[in-house]
Amino acid sequence: MASSASSPMVIGHTLRRAVFFILIAVTTLLALGLLVTVFHTDGLSPIERVLLVLYAILFSWICVSFWTALMGFWVMLTGRDRWAISRHPGTPPDPAAPPPRTAILMPIYNEDSQRVFAGLRAIHQSLADTGQLDGFDFFILSDTRDPEVWVEEELRWQDMVRTLNGKGRIFYRNRPENTSRKTGNLEDFCTRWGARYRYMIVLDADSIMKGETLVEMVRLMERQPRVALIQTPPVPVNRESLFARILQFAGSIYGRMFTAGLNFWQLDESNYWGHNAIIRIQPFLDHCGLPKLPGREPFGGEILSHDFVEAALLRRAGWEVWLAYDLEGSYEEIPPTLIDYAKRDRRWCQGNLQHLRLALSHGFNGLSRIHFIMGVMSYAASPLWLLFLIATGVEAFIQTQRELVYFFGQNWMPVWPVSFAVEMTTVLLVTLTMLFLPKLLALLLLLKDAKLRESYGGMANASWSVVLESVFSVLTAPVLMLFQTKFVLAILMRRAVGWPPQQRGDHMTSFKEAALAHGGHTAIGLVVGGLSYLYVPAFFWWFTPVLLGLALSIPVSMLSSSIALGQAAREWGLFLTPEETNPPAVLRYLAENLQDDDAVLPALRDRPPNHFVQALTDPYVNALHLSLLPERGPPGKRRRHYLEGLIHQLEEEGPDSLSAAQKRDLIAEPETLLRLHALFWSRPPAGAALP
Amino acid sequence: MDRGKVIAPHPYLPPPVAAPNTDLLFGRLHAYWRALGVSDPAQIAALSEQALRRAAELPDTLGLDPLARTLLAASELLDDWLAQGSELPRTPQRLAAIRAALLGGVTPDWPKTLFAPPGEGDNLRDTLAEATAEPTPEPMPSAMPAQPIDLFSVLAEIRRLWQKTPGA
Repeated sequence: MASSASSPMVIGHTLRRAVFFILIAVTTLLALGLLVTVFHTDGLSPIERVLLVLYAILFSWICVSFWTALMGFWVMLTGRDRWAISRHPGTPPDPAAPPPRTAILMPIYNEDSQRVFAGLRAIHQSLADTGQLDGFDFFILSDTRDPEVWVEEELRWQDMVRTLNGKGRIFYRNRPENTSRKTGNLEDFCTRWGARYRYMIVLDADSIMKGETLVEMVRLMERQPRVALIQTPPVPVNRESLFARILQFAGSIYGRMFTAGLNFWQLDESNYWGHNAIIRIQPFLDHCGLPKLPGREPFGGEILSHDFVEAALLRRAGWEVWLAYDLEGSYEEIPPTLIDYAKRDRRWCQGNLQHLRLALSHGFNGLSRIHFIMGVMSYAASPLWLLFLIATGVEAFIQTQRELVYFFGQNWMPVWPVSFAVEMTTVLLVTLTMLFLPKLLALLLLLKDAKLRESYGGMANASWSVVLESVFSVLTAPVLMLFQTKFVLAILMRRAVGWPPQQRGDHMTSFKEAALAHGGHTAIGLVVGGLSYLYVPAFFWWFTPVLLGLALSIPVSMLSSSIALGQAAREWGLFLTPEETNPPAVLRYLAENLQDDDAVLPALRDRPPNHFVQALTDPYVNALHLSLLPERGPPGKRRRHYLEGLIHQLEEEGPDSLSAAQKRDLIAEPETLLRLHALFWSRPPAGAALP
Repeated sequence: MDRGKVIAPHPYLPPPVAAPNTDLLFGRLHAYWRALGVSDPAQIAALSEQALRRAAELPDTLGLDPLARTLLAASELLDDWLAQGSELPRTPQRLAAIRAALLGGVTPDWPKTLFAPPGEGDNLRDTLAEATAEPTPEPMPSAMPAQPIDLFSVLAEIRRLWQKTPGA
């Protein structure tokens, strides 16, 4: 499909991108020029060449963020971007055409069911408030393997249907096999039910969206028939720990500006972040079937970070992909602790590194390639920074070993060594400015809007929050650098990094957990600090922010996971966000749903300790679970023997002797399920008198 | 439904009884019918008799002991009544869904309605149809073909250049 945007718009789009990339190139060249001046006095040594290359890559990466932020600042300051998707008049939809139907999809995998369904209910309630509920259906697309969670999901789904009168509107299915993970889960929806809907809105397990936002997304799509995907910027909300509240504040106050900037230069060639986005289903079906990449992992096999690739495929086919930076009411929850944050990075890292291969593939648009490279750099930047720091340390050490010569040849006057302190300080200041100026600009934007300023706790509180957030980010940056470097190396060497599953809810980091995760960081900080203090003392002082972050990683990680500190900071007016100061209705609904959790289904209200046993014993739960199993033929001989063995094990040793996978096998087979139900009821409980 | 009867003890199950006596058989059937929500002793006795007769007709392919077979027969008996009462196609999933609707509490005194003389329990069919879960809509299959991605490879690039070269 060819884009048919008017030519002034096309020229405008091109001009914006040209300016953006020229600014990056010029800034990088200027900074590089300063550094070359410093290095070039007595020729470039090999290590200096390495430093220059690394600096060029890393500085240009900083420049991307900096100029994006600056463009965002400009957009927010002037209050408009005339080419934003929300401002396109578009074409009014055909009144004769049937009203669009939209599926709201929530793919889940072993998630906290209570939170998932409380969130979905909140979205449903918010959508009902708009009066537009009829245009939307809800799909809970479960890939859950854990039998406990599986049965609970079924009960919570049925409870939600009953409470909200949602029969025929709120659907649930659990895939027998979770082939291709989330991509396969969505593909399964698209190929089975996609044709029933014009649009799908993809959520994540912790996504929350306002009803008005959902309605507006559909309205925008209806008016823009060339648009295949609109991404909304999800604002982090709802966490209580200090770590998460700092990140929520940063995501809220800086995020607004950054997303405005991203939209400014990306426009109709924007990206997809995997959730909180609306997708036109037909082009998605036609162009977004993902192939398996040839070769072995990490670069071959299934495409893990599917979202970037899907956006690129849609663009390749001529469809537009937009970021609706000014569409509010899109929320997500973030990991509550530094360690959980790192665990999430581990999951995302491999998928993003895989994009390196795609960035060079044929047929993708230029901007799609840049999205791929940006995805790679999100993680590759860490080992590069580490290399840069090591090379700087080595260079500093070499410099200290040089003896200064003041008299050359026939000169009777001493030749004083040229000092490049000014140039070096300039390089450092420029780099720091690029990193910290966007934070200041985001703060300045608050001066423009009194209401917004108040929602961040006023100018003084917001300023203190920015200062403290900056200190915190300086302390945690080296820790994340080491974490990400470890992940990148492990992936490149095809080694598993042992991480327990991520905990999404607020929880404190224990000393043991912190020591296990950060013991190495602390040791590196202390050893490198000691060595540099002894051998390169001048370098040591420059290096203290990095060393301090590493040396203090255990207490920082533990303290920042504190919920009490997070709440105290809120009392002091620190790290406040508009969503905390004045929560929108949808977030209030979520809080109420989580607090009340009043199930209408007795099987759920009783809060049974074991949902697996409940599926075997409770006639209602057994029947409901059976009704939701996909139709399949009787098991083969081998499978039957395997299940027979599990039944005997269950009889003799109890349910705790079975693994989660074995339990799942038992309750995934209709015949076995019926048989176990009969078996249970045929035996009087041990020691119980007959009724 | 008597929810007090559905808590599993630990260790999970006592050993099976090879030759259960009548008291044991009726005792377990009684407990099961009560758990399903049948409280009238006369109805329980009648249903248990029917379950026993049906158990004798069940094929021995499942490898169940006599007691479990009787319980399975009781469960199937309920499905028969439901299929008859709801006049719906008798697929296992559909029947399980109706059973779940029935046991989910939409009709508090369901035995009275289900076992009512013909013509008197007609509203049960509508109530069950209304309460039966609809997990997914009818599928409308579509294709989602895997898209080709022409990955970069140095060898392929050389080959491409070679092919472009005139006379190559």
